[in-house]
Amino acid sequence: MFKFFSSTNIYLIIQKLVKFINSIFFLILIIGLTFALVLSPPDYLQGDAVRIMYVHVPSAWIGLACFFVITLLSILNYIFKIKNFYFINKSIAPIGLLFTCLAIATGSLWGQPTWGTWWAWDARLTSMLALMFFYIFYILTFKLLNNEELIIKVSSIIAIVGSINLPIIKYSVEWWATLHQPASIKITGSSTIHSEMMLPLMVMLLVFLLYAALIFLMKYKTEIIRIKKKNIKRN
Amino acid sequence: MILKLITMNGYGVYVWMSFSIVFISCAFVYFKTKKTLKKYEQEFLKELQTLTLEEKNKALETSKVAQQILTISSKVN
Repeated sequence: MFKFFSSTNIYLIIQKLVKFINSIFFLILIIGLTFALVLSPPDYLQGDAVRIMYVHVPSAWIGLACFFVITLLSILNYIFKIKNFYFINKSIAPIGLLFTCLAIATGSLWGQPTWGTWWAWDARLTSMLALMFFYIFYILTFKLLNNEELIIKVSSIIAIVGSINLPIIKYSVEWWATLHQPASIKITGSSTIHSEMMLPLMVMLLVFLLYAALIFLMKYKTEIIRIKKKNIKRN
Repeated sequence: MILKLITMNGYGVYVWMSFSIVFISCAFVYFKTKKTLKKYEQEFLKELQTLTLEEKNKALETSKVAQQILTISSKVN
């Protein structure tokens, strides 16, 4: 069982997964873009500006999900000392930062035509900005520190402190009066989004997830090669 | 039809700019990640070349990763 999770086996699985994602990615991307830009209807209030949702919402979700995974793996790594989690986190963090920045940028572009402003110090927007800084600090620990033990400690602390921000982001629209609208899609309870908009949103989410998986696998593969390079002379 | 798709009733600038930022950023990160991966593969191969024949064979026997990188690089070259 543990042999299956050896870096060599993981490396071979990654090779196959990368090939698979590359083979289906562009087809799903074209379907997603056709739905998002052409087939989905405009909103009765926001008009065609609502199409920004198809890149804004998946970006924000992935940005949040990446930080959640980083926190979870940091805690597990701290307790069980599984070094693989450290490499997984190192590979996920840049993806989370990318999507958080994209959520902020596209949110700003959506805010101008709908709210009349590019930016407001609103609870949702500010907490997303805080998440971006947590990502930056997290990544900086890998770049600035040399001692691996210290990196694990400092990055875990940043991840755990930063995780306090995750429920704040989620519930900011309910706890405070914000410019940002409340959630339209709920895991528990009925969603207030029409199926004609829900379908393109889900297809675009799939596109973004595949992209995130592809980047993660490539970064993780790089980490495996780095380890193997270090060990090559020892073998 | 095409003009409507471009202008989007006055929202075209915001919509197209959003999609452009996302796809340009994603493409940039993709190519940067791919370049870094290739760089490390090359460095790994260079490291492999510095070994003696005996060490090299031993490394290739014990490491499937080394075999894979060598196979990929020989396919590319």
